[in-house]
Amino acid sequence: MTEINTQAHQENSKHTNQNQPSQKPKQTKKPNQFWNFLGSMNLAVTLLMMLSIASVIGTVLKQNQAPQDYIVQFGPFWADVFNSLGLFHVYGALWFVLVLIFLLISTSVCVTRNTPSFLKDMKQFSEKLSRTALQHQPNNTSFETTIDLEKQQNHATALLQHKGYKTRVHQRDDGSVTVAGLKGRWNRLGYLFTHISIIIICLGALLDSNLLLKYRELTGNLQAETRAVSLDEIGEKSWLDADNLSFRGSINVPEGGKTDILFLPYEDGFLVQQLPFSIENTNFRVEYYDTGMPKSFESDLVLTAPELEEPIKATIAVNYPLYYKNYAIYQSSFGDGGTKLNLKVHALKSPRINPLNLDSNINSVEPLKTPDGKFNIEFNDFKMHNIVPASDELMAQTGKKMHNNGPTIIFKVRNEQGKAWEYENYIAPSMQEGRLFYMTGVRTLNSEPFRYMFIPADENRKTERFFNFLTLLNNPNESVQIFSAQYPKNEQISDENYQLQQNLLKQLLVLFRARGYEGIKDFISTNVPAEEQEVVTKYYFEQVSFALQVIYLETLKREEVIPDHDSDISEFNKVWFDDALRAISSLSRYGPPMYFEVENFTQIQSTGLQITKSPGKDTVYFGSAMLIIGVFFLFYVRQRRVWIHIKPNSEPNAESDSVSNAEVTIAAKDNKNLPETTKEFDELVDKLKQFNNKNA
Amino acid sequence: MQKETYLDEFKSAEKKAFTLRDAAWIAFVILSTLYAWTQYGHMDGYEIAILIGTAISLIWLGRFWPSMQTVTVVSGLMTALALWTYHNHGNAITANETAFFLRFLVSSQSAIMWMNTLFVLATVTYFIALYNKSDFTYKTAAFMVWAASTFGLVGMFVRWRESYLINTDYGHIPVSSLYEVFILFVVMTALMYLYYEQRYKTRALGGFVMLVISAAVGFILWYTFDKEAHVIQPLVPALQSYWMKIHVPANFVGYGAFSIAAMIGIAYLITEKSLKKNPESSFAARMPSLELMDDVMYKTISLGFAFFTIATVLGAMWAAEAWGGYWSWDPKETWALIVWLNYAAWLHIRMSKGWRGAAMSWWAFIGLLITTFAFLGVNMFLSGLHSYGEL
Repeated sequence: MTEINTQAHQENSKHTNQNQPSQKPKQTKKPNQFWNFLGSMNLAVTLLMMLSIASVIGTVLKQNQAPQDYIVQFGPFWADVFNSLGLFHVYGALWFVLVLIFLLISTSVCVTRNTPSFLKDMKQFSEKLSRTALQHQPNNTSFETTIDLEKQQNHATALLQHKGYKTRVHQRDDGSVTVAGLKGRWNRLGYLFTHISIIIICLGALLDSNLLLKYRELTGNLQAETRAVSLDEIGEKSWLDADNLSFRGSINVPEGGKTDILFLPYEDGFLVQQLPFSIENTNFRVEYYDTGMPKSFESDLVLTAPELEEPIKATIAVNYPLYYKNYAIYQSSFGDGGTKLNLKVHALKSPRINPLNLDSNINSVEPLKTPDGKFNIEFNDFKMHNIVPASDELMAQTGKKMHNNGPTIIFKVRNEQGKAWEYENYIAPSMQEGRLFYMTGVRTLNSEPFRYMFIPADENRKTERFFNFLTLLNNPNESVQIFSAQYPKNEQISDENYQLQQNLLKQLLVLFRARGYEGIKDFISTNVPAEEQEVVTKYYFEQVSFALQVIYLETLKREEVIPDHDSDISEFNKVWFDDALRAISSLSRYGPPMYFEVENFTQIQSTGLQITKSPGKDTVYFGSAMLIIGVFFLFYVRQRRVWIHIKPNSEPNAESDSVSNAEVTIAAKDNKNLPETTKEFDELVDKLKQFNNKNA
Repeated sequence: MQKETYLDEFKSAEKKAFTLRDAAWIAFVILSTLYAWTQYGHMDGYEIAILIGTAISLIWLGRFWPSMQTVTVVSGLMTALALWTYHNHGNAITANETAFFLRFLVSSQSAIMWMNTLFVLATVTYFIALYNKSDFTYKTAAFMVWAASTFGLVGMFVRWRESYLINTDYGHIPVSSLYEVFILFVVMTALMYLYYEQRYKTRALGGFVMLVISAAVGFILWYTFDKEAHVIQPLVPALQSYWMKIHVPANFVGYGAFSIAAMIGIAYLITEKSLKKNPESSFAARMPSLELMDDVMYKTISLGFAFFTIATVLGAMWAAEAWGGYWSWDPKETWALIVWLNYAAWLHIRMSKGWRGAAMSWWAFIGLLITTFAFLGVNMFLSGLHSYGEL
C-alpha cells in the first residue's frame, strides 16, 4: 500500500505544483515511523506468509486429536515440541490469533492513510492542469485546428459525454479552455471496499473466535475438562453459562431424551456450555439408498424455553437447521442412543449348558464374574445396517451390488488388569459360501482389523447345536462315557489297552479343545521322538477325528436328528461338522472364553446436533458481499481521465494559407495502463481529427 | 453548434439495432427456462431463483459473446435428441446401450467420450498448426474445441437426466463427484479459452491451453476405466442443497481461468527464451507478442480471482447452513484460502508494483500447482469434511 500512497502523494504535488509554482509542495506530516511500519506492505506480506504457512501445517498435521495419538505418531519428544508451538490446535493458538489481529491493525492503518487521498481522487477532475502537464501524460498528442473555440469546446464536451465521461470545463485567464473528463470513479471504491471488507470480515471472525475463552483461561477462570466423567463430576471451571457470546459445539441426544447443555471442544479436552433452552429429540429417522449409503436423516425436535409460550416443534435435516433467536441447531450426525439388548452369554469352557441371561444396553458397563476372573463388558455401539459389496453369486441372484449383513453390536471385554478385547458380533447369521454363519470378530488393537470366527448355524438357523457340541467337548469325562457306550470293551482288547485307549481319546480331546489340531501337533513334537512323529501324528489324528465324530453323532442323536450313531447323516450335517471344528480350533485366539449372543434388541437412536451461536456471522457475510462488489469494481471499472485542451492562437498565422485558430492538445490517463487505453485514446483522437478536418 | 446537438448526432450515428437474432435468442432462453420450470418441478424457492438467475445470465452472456448462442442452441438440440430417444424407449436407462443415437452419440457417456477424443485431437492439431503456420489447421483445431465443449455440455445435461432415470431418488446436477467436476472443468476451461482466442484474435496459444485440458482428459479416462467412477451415485445428505448449483460452478470458473493463465505463462516463458536466443526466431514470430500474453494472463487471473472469491464466500455460507460454521479450518477451506491469497498477491504485485514478464509467468504456473493441490491433493492426501471426491 505504500506504493499507492506515494503515487497519490506524487500526483497531488504534481497538480498543485504546476498550478501554483510559488507554493511549496504539499507535504504530509513527518511520517510516524511506527504507523508507517504497521501500514506497510512488507509487514502485511510477512504476516500473510506466516498465516499461510501456519494454515498449511494445520492441514497436514491432523488437528485436535487426543494427545496419545500424537505421542504415538511423533514420539514423546517431538509431540511435546509441536504441542508447545501450538501446532495441534493451530487455528486457535494464541500466536495465530495475534497474527490475525496484527493483520487487522495493519490493514486498518493502511486504509485510514489512503482513504482521504482516494476519496479526493474520485472527486477531482484535475481540470486545472496546464498544457505542459498534459503533455507529460502517458497518452497525449496535439494538432492545429481552424475551428473556433466555442464549437470545438461544445463538440469536445459532447464527444466525451457520449463516451460516458463526466465533464468539467475550465476557463483560464489566457483564454484557453480545458474540457476534463472523468469516468469510472468507482474503481477507487473498489480499492476501499476490498480492503475495508477484510477488516469487517476479520472483526466478525474475531467475534466468533474463542478469544474470550482464551483470555479467561489465561486469567485462571477456565479449564478444559480432559477426563471422560459424568456431568455432575465436571468442575465449575469447565462450565460456561448461557450468556457466552459465541460458541460452536455438539451434543448427542438419544430418542426420547432431552438436553440443555452442549460440549465445546477446547484445547486438549472440552467445556460444557449451558444453553438457555432445552431440546428434546422425539424421533429420529434415517433412510438409506439401495447402495447402503444414507439418503437422509432427520430429527423431530421440541425446543422449550422460558420465554416461549409454546415450545417450538421442528424437523431438522442436513442443510436445514433450526434457527432460534441467534442460535442455530444443525443435524450433524447420528449414532446409537442406548439400544436395549437382551443377551445370552455362553461360557465357552463350561461343561454344562447354562448360558447367562443378561439385559443391558449400549453405553452401559456390565461386570461379570467368571471362573477365569472378573471382567467388565463395555457395550459401545450398535449398528443396524452393515452394507458390504455383494459376492458374485449373490449379485447374480439378487441383481444388487451391495448386501446388508444385518445388525451388529460392538463391545469391549476388559479384564482386571485393564487389557481389553474388542468384539463385533453379528446378530443374525449371514450366508458365506452357501452356508449360514454367526460371525464374531475380535481384535486387541484399534489399528488392527477384526479377525472373525464363524460359528455355523444349525438346521434351525441357531447356535444351539454348536454349543451343545462344544459343551460335550468341554466335558472329557462325559465324552469318554459316550465312547464306552458306543464302543464297549470287547474280548479282542485287553482291559489295560482299552483303558489306555480311553485315556488317549480323553487327552486328545482336551488338547484339541485347548488348541485345535495345532495343539496336538505341538504335543507330538515335544513328547514324541522325531523318528516316530509321522506315524504317531497319523494315528493321533485318526483317533481324534474318530472321537470328535462320535461326540458329534451323539449331539445329533440328542437333538433327535438321527435315531442312532449308525444312521446316515445329511450333506448339510457333514459340512456343519467341518465348519464347527474350524471354529473350535480358533477358540484359543478368541480372547476371554465368552460368546455374547443377542436374542433381542430394541434400537434407540441418537441424533448428533451441532449448535452454534455466531454473532459475527452477519458481519462476515456483509464484509464478504462488500469484498465481492469491491473486486468487481476493481477489475472491471477502469478509472479513465481525458483532457481536451484548446489553446487559441494569440495572432493568426500570417504566413500559411490556412488560418489556424487554435491548438488542440488531447491527453488521457488510465490508472491501470492496459493495452486498451492506448487503443481507446487513438480512437478518440481519430474522431476529433475527423471532426476538425470535416469542418475546416 | 450546441453541445446538445452534437450529442444527438452521436447517438443517432451509433445506434445499435436490436436484431431478429437478439429477439430469437432471448425467446429461446425464456422458452427453455419455462420448459424446465414446468417439466422438472420439485424446486424450492432458492432453486427457482437460481433458474431465473441462470436464464438472465445466459441471455446476457449470449449477447456479450454471440458464439455462446450457437453452442447453447446446438447442445440444447442434441440434449433434446437424447431425452426424446430415452422417452421413446420408455425412459429406461438401459436404452443407452440399445438405442442407436444414445449408444453412439448423445448418451452422457458417449458424449463425454466424444468430448475426450476431440480435446486430445485438438491438442495435436493446434501444435501441428503452430508448426506449419496453417490457418486452416488452426481453424480445424478451434472447431474441434468448440465441438468438444458442445459434447461436454451435452454429456452433463444428459447425465443430469439419466440420474433421474436410474432412480428418481438419485437425480442431481452432475457436479457432485470428482468425476463429474472434471467434466465441468474441461468444458469451462475450453470455453473460456475460446473466448480469449476470439477476443485477442490469436490461436497460437491453443496448444498450450489444450495441454492442461488433455491432462485432465487423461485423468478422466483413467478414473473411468480403472475406478468406474463414471457410475452415477446418489447424493449424500450434506450435498442435497441448492448451494451446490452455485458454489461448484463458480469454483470452476476460477480453476479454469487459473489453468489458462498458467499455460499462457508457459508459452510466455518459452517465447521469451526463444527471443533471447534469437530475436528473429521463427517460433516467436508465430506466437503473439509478449505484451499480449502478459495481458491475457492478467485478464484471466482477474476473472478467476473474482469468481474464486465468490465461490469461497458461497462455500462458507453453505458450510454455515450444513455444518454449523462458515469456517472450520477444514483442509479444503484452508487450501482455498491459500490459493486465494496466492492470486491476491499476484494481482497486488502486478497492480501496485507494476511487475510484468517472466517472473509473473512463473508465478502463474506455480499458482496452478497450488490450485491443483487445493483441488485434488487435499482430497487424495488429507482428510476432512470435504472428502466427497476421494479416489
